[in-house]
Amino acid sequence: MASTSKESYRVELRAAARQLGDRCLYSAAKWAAELLVGIEPDAAAPSQPDTPSSSGAGPGGRLLHLHRSGGSSFRRRMRPGGGSEAGTPLGGVSYVSTPIPDDDAFDAGADKYLLAKTYFDCREYRRAAHVLRGHVGRKAVFLRCYALYMAGEKRKDEETIELEGSLGKSNVVNQELVALERELSTYRRTGAIDSFGLYLYGIVLRDKGCEGLARTVLVESVNSYPWNWCAWLEIQSLCTTSDILNNLNLKNHWMKDFFIASAHLELKMHEEALKRYERLMGVFRCSDYIQAQIATVQYSMRELDDADMIFEELLRTDPFRVDSMDIYSNLLYAKESLTALSFLAHRVFLTDKYRPESCCIIANYYSLKGQHEKSVLYFQRALKLNRKYLSAWTLMGHEYVELKNTPAAIDAYRRAVDINPRDYRAWYGLGQIYEMMGMPFYALYYFRKSSHLQPNDARLWIAMAQCYESDPLQMIEEAIKCYERAANSNDTEGIALHQLAKLHSMLGQSEEAAFYYKKDVERMEVEERQGQNFVEALLFLAKHCKSIGRYEEAEHYCTRLLDYTGPEKETAKSMLQGIKREQSGFPSMDIDHFAL
Amino acid sequence: MNVFAGVRSAAGAEQKDAGSAGGEALLELTPHRMAVCHLVQVFAPQQEGGPATPPFPFESVAHHNRLGLFLFSLTRSCEDFLEPPLEELLRQLKAVDDLVNGWLCEQLTTTLSGLISPDDLFNFFDKLRGVLTSPEGASVEDEFLDPNSQLGVYLRCCILAFNSMTFEGVCHLLSNLVAYCNSAETSYDLAEDEDFNSEMEMSDLMDADIGVRAGVFDKYGQGYATESHMGESSSSFIHAPISLHDFDEDNIFKADENPTCLRSRWQLEAYLNQQADILEKDPSSVPLNSFNATMTQLQTLAPELHRVQFLQHLNALSHDDYVSALDNLHRYFDYSAGQGLFSRSLSANQDIIVGKYESALLSLGSLHCYFGHPKKALEAFTEAVRVSQMNNDDSCLAYILGAISNLLSKIGISSTVGIIGSPYSLGNNSGLGTPLSIQQQLLVLLKRSLKRADMLKLTSLISFDHISLAKFDLKHVQRPLVSFGPNASTKLRTCPADVCKSLRLSSHVLSDFGTGDLSTSHDNGSFSTSWLRNLSTASSSWCSSSAKPGKQIVNDFDNFHFNAQPSPIPTSVLQLAGSAYLMRATAWEHYGSAPMVRMNALVYTTCFADAASSSELSLAYVKLIQQLVVFKGYSVAFGALKIAEEKFPSSTNPHIHLLKMQLLHDRALHRGHLRVAQQICDEFGVLSSSVSGVDIELKTEASLRHARTLLAAKQFSQAAVVANSLFSTCYKYNMQVENASVLLLLAEIHKKSDNAVLGLPYALASQSFCKSFNLDLLEASATLTLAELWLALGSSHAKRALSLVYQSLPMILGHGGLELRARAHIVLAKCYLTDREYSVSEDPRAVLDPLNQATEDLQVLEYHDMAAEAYYLKAMAYNHLGKEGEREEAAARFKEHVTAVENPHDEEASLAY
Repeated sequence: MASTSKESYRVELRAAARQLGDRCLYSAAKWAAELLVGIEPDAAAPSQPDTPSSSGAGPGGRLLHLHRSGGSSFRRRMRPGGGSEAGTPLGGVSYVSTPIPDDDAFDAGADKYLLAKTYFDCREYRRAAHVLRGHVGRKAVFLRCYALYMAGEKRKDEETIELEGSLGKSNVVNQELVALERELSTYRRTGAIDSFGLYLYGIVLRDKGCEGLARTVLVESVNSYPWNWCAWLEIQSLCTTSDILNNLNLKNHWMKDFFIASAHLELKMHEEALKRYERLMGVFRCSDYIQAQIATVQYSMRELDDADMIFEELLRTDPFRVDSMDIYSNLLYAKESLTALSFLAHRVFLTDKYRPESCCIIANYYSLKGQHEKSVLYFQRALKLNRKYLSAWTLMGHEYVELKNTPAAIDAYRRAVDINPRDYRAWYGLGQIYEMMGMPFYALYYFRKSSHLQPNDARLWIAMAQCYESDPLQMIEEAIKCYERAANSNDTEGIALHQLAKLHSMLGQSEEAAFYYKKDVERMEVEERQGQNFVEALLFLAKHCKSIGRYEEAEHYCTRLLDYTGPEKETAKSMLQGIKREQSGFPSMDIDHFAL
Repeated sequence: MNVFAGVRSAAGAEQKDAGSAGGEALLELTPHRMAVCHLVQVFAPQQEGGPATPPFPFESVAHHNRLGLFLFSLTRSCEDFLEPPLEELLRQLKAVDDLVNGWLCEQLTTTLSGLISPDDLFNFFDKLRGVLTSPEGASVEDEFLDPNSQLGVYLRCCILAFNSMTFEGVCHLLSNLVAYCNSAETSYDLAEDEDFNSEMEMSDLMDADIGVRAGVFDKYGQGYATESHMGESSSSFIHAPISLHDFDEDNIFKADENPTCLRSRWQLEAYLNQQADILEKDPSSVPLNSFNATMTQLQTLAPELHRVQFLQHLNALSHDDYVSALDNLHRYFDYSAGQGLFSRSLSANQDIIVGKYESALLSLGSLHCYFGHPKKALEAFTEAVRVSQMNNDDSCLAYILGAISNLLSKIGISSTVGIIGSPYSLGNNSGLGTPLSIQQQLLVLLKRSLKRADMLKLTSLISFDHISLAKFDLKHVQRPLVSFGPNASTKLRTCPADVCKSLRLSSHVLSDFGTGDLSTSHDNGSFSTSWLRNLSTASSSWCSSSAKPGKQIVNDFDNFHFNAQPSPIPTSVLQLAGSAYLMRATAWEHYGSAPMVRMNALVYTTCFADAASSSELSLAYVKLIQQLVVFKGYSVAFGALKIAEEKFPSSTNPHIHLLKMQLLHDRALHRGHLRVAQQICDEFGVLSSSVSGVDIELKTEASLRHARTLLAAKQFSQAAVVANSLFSTCYKYNMQVENASVLLLLAEIHKKSDNAVLGLPYALASQSFCKSFNLDLLEASATLTLAELWLALGSSHAKRALSLVYQSLPMILGHGGLELRARAHIVLAKCYLTDREYSVSEDPRAVLDPLNQATEDLQVLEYHDMAAEAYYLKAMAYNHLGKEGEREEAAARFKEHVTAVENPHDEEASLAY
């Protein structure tokens, strides 16, 4: 059962990779082929040499050394979930089997098609289209149109460079769009179009700005031919909200799982995405793609160590990989591991330095080095290569902040937000800038936006709380609410608890303050972090307990304070004496007090 | 480079500057510019032939000059966002070309379409260079193209641009040129694909361009004044192209709606300003989504013009879309605040610089103020104060102060809450140990704002502050901020003279603009705005004169200024001046002079209607209708209301809506339709926001009306409870003027509940409130109530009551409405009747005359309750006189009114009008 289903996946993917490659849809073909190799080998087959579980002794040992938490490498941890249900259809739902379409029979134009494809492979698009003029086979029509589209895209890119510098006229358009749309829409009306044609029609429509229609057409395309990953990606880019995603009329093919998972990741529904990917791992055990996606999810969930491990593993098996390596570099940046980042930057530089990802990685490296001008330069290069490269805009904004160039930073962030309004980091950046400029009230709008998009991120709540707390605003109650949110959503730095305690004590609510100070002390004890905050908390607790008559607790805190040097020690000493006095010397006072 | 933010703004600005100064980063070559170059070449005189004879294709010097003028206007508009297609250029050229049978057009098209290889382009520009080099032996006076003239510079720029072009650029130009030439032939086939090629829009483009030329020619017409025939021909030239097209109203309308016919930055800004005006004047006429679509289209055409986003913000604001208003506001300022994008349109002494962070906060504050978030608005304003102090932006600071005082005066903030708590902002803690009350803070703010505005010569702000001060003086007693010792005598009265003085000073803004430095101060696109306006009226007047002779021009303001200079006074100034008149009307309303209210409201509606925003204009209408109802009764008022509703649908205009409800409520009360009255009362309650302190006036009115309804239903204790709570609210928010009427109402309640003794203090208190706030008419009314209360205490007080009535009569008869007059008459009659020394038979007229008058007035008002009383008194009087016939008649009328009150029928009719 298990092997047959796996075998059927293989058959489908094999055919798909061939067909897609035949139509010059390279990246989709690449994706399919990668996935094909990623299917777990059958039990009967001899074990692959590169499965990590079998080679744990080598690099796995290094991982062990690096990460104290991991007793096993990540792949082994994945296994129990996937292994048992590898045979059953994913997620327990039955899939609609989509017949693999036969390719057009080799007709008279087959030779011409071959020629056109070779031209296309050599990036001589117009020539390819020219060869196929007059051919009516669906395959030939598709390749001709696709070649025209690519020619237009190429020209567009060139023009963007050529015309650079004239303000306000940067919106060069693909000149072929109009003709292509006209032709493809006629084909669609008459039904003389296959799913590849629909895919092309979809992207033409998207480029023209008809997003709704584009979505419908693309959905049609993937419903009839689900193995074209590029089509799925286009749909994903058109699904900006989860409502749109849920309203798509998609056939239940196993490719849909990949799509949904990826879309969830994009829409920041991390848990769902992770779950789906882990299920998919059951079949596609060795897929690098899924590994990279899981790592991305984990990075977004700020599980940096786990993600780091996966990325390292990926690079080990596939050293010339550039895809998703920008995320890895972000991760390394967050972990501040300079050496690893420089290593990565060098590697991608040697592999392909003119990829936006590469530029982004190098920029990250410079940023971590503190050379922000150079970093900006590389981000600019990345953006030149891909103007819609969202994270580069945001990161460039960060760099401008470092350079104290606030208008430029605002502009960069704004562009990021306009490209994707769900980019919480850019909103956060905007808020930060305005806060820096002494406009906390104005900044609140941005922080509110970002925390709305990422409600479980303590940093955003803390930023907002700090705004409320700032001198000009002094809206303590609102600040407390924000800190509470932050404390409830895994605040790793522990700012929230301390601030909560402080604010409550400022407002004279000593019960609450004591509650939070106690929690804070517990947290610091667990993390073995002892600093000024710790002393402060102890001091407050001691005073508080003393004032409400819980002398034993007060004594406990005071004795702990004695371990520290500084004025607090003296205070603790005198307090201890005071407690002793009150406990032994004048017990009647209390009674009197109560009698009154 | 425009991708990169950091360099972009600076580089962009430099580039623009350099472009206009003739530096190396020049204009970009386009096919249209090449066409113009070619025409210049044709225009430029050839070497052979003396100066007396015009060069080859031209018939006369005038003809030659006409082409020159045309080219001049074309080169002047070379920095446009969008260039006209060839076809349009040809169409314009025809006007010049007619005399030579289209030789020019034909030559232009053949030349341009003859350019098919890059080498042709090189040759083309080589030839252009020949035009500029002056031939040997030419004297200075000869007519050669001066390289330093407008056309010469233009030509040189183009040549330079070509020379510095890379080969890719040349290829690009060539392919554009081919498309340009083809567009003239096949534009109609592509109509669905390209936005600007449809015939309709083509004529719009045409339309707009004529305007430009008209302007240019007007200027030049003066220069050529000596050549009289030149002037004539040029004026006919202006109108000639218009007649080529058959315009209709729709088309002109479209020119307004469709921004794609605008090309230059100026025109675009003018268009945006115009749209902003429309948004302010009549927001309901602008549909939310289609306007946004238009703006988005503009945005794609001119991505660097961020003002579009501000308009979207205004649009959302006027449609009460909080979220999108907020989003657009932030987007606009994110893009523009750091850059000062409109640097070219900013003259040195412009009032406020668009696009600074403090302006962002100012706008944010106004937004919150508009949506009724006083706390947020205050926070924003405080921050704005801080930021503008940080950036030394005095003018913005003055505006912010003005905005804060506006907020404080608009929104009730109880004096117990320290609102402007932060010590940074307003210096309210300076010197004095005790914090000032809200009103005092407001006064301080206003004065500071005024002082600052005066110093910085911000005329409109000065005017605004004067109006605000007048508003303050109207409602508040000015106390001295510091009173030392007993010798500081304080006069606890408002000062009407101050109000009048402030208002008079505020309308000085008009004269300031009349004499002030016109040329420099409003070089902000308003010329283009009025130009646009004149354009539409020009076309429509042309239409009406030829096609529809009966058609009247809607806006006589524009008509008046057509073809003349645009009005020297910007709309905003006119608005402020108008507001002063409206404020005057309000002031007189308070002081109780009906004719003055009418007069000022009429002045406003007649003189300032064009500039007024819909809200203010409707307010003036409301005032006029309120006067009508008081003096002429309901039927007339409802008739007027219907007319007003045609102009401002009550569903969208809050003022009119409120007025409608007020009228309906009053009438229901008078007719005795209590259920309807209660229903309207409930509706009133729903209108106001639930946030405390917001919509405070509306809330006050709602509970006032609630109390009155209860009173009419004879539920005295409940009415008293409502009135008492209203009094405490008013007291809390320091609304003393309202307190006067609330106290009067309380007195009324006690009077009706036969508790005259309890009513007396209220009436007296109300009277003294009225005195200190100079509410003369209300005072008269209070005096009347007082008289009634005395009368209720027994016949022994009739004399005193009578003297009180006589005391109030002059005011009431002079300025009072129907109801008040009738009441006075009835009380007068009652005084006589209760007076023991008076007997009807001796002097029947003393009683009957006022009663007759009262019944007449009440008939108009349909006030059954009071009418019944009047008839009752009348019947009694006739009874005493022994006139039985009259007595029976009066008694019958009495019964009629009483049954009407007791058994109200067709209550539903009370809701209709």
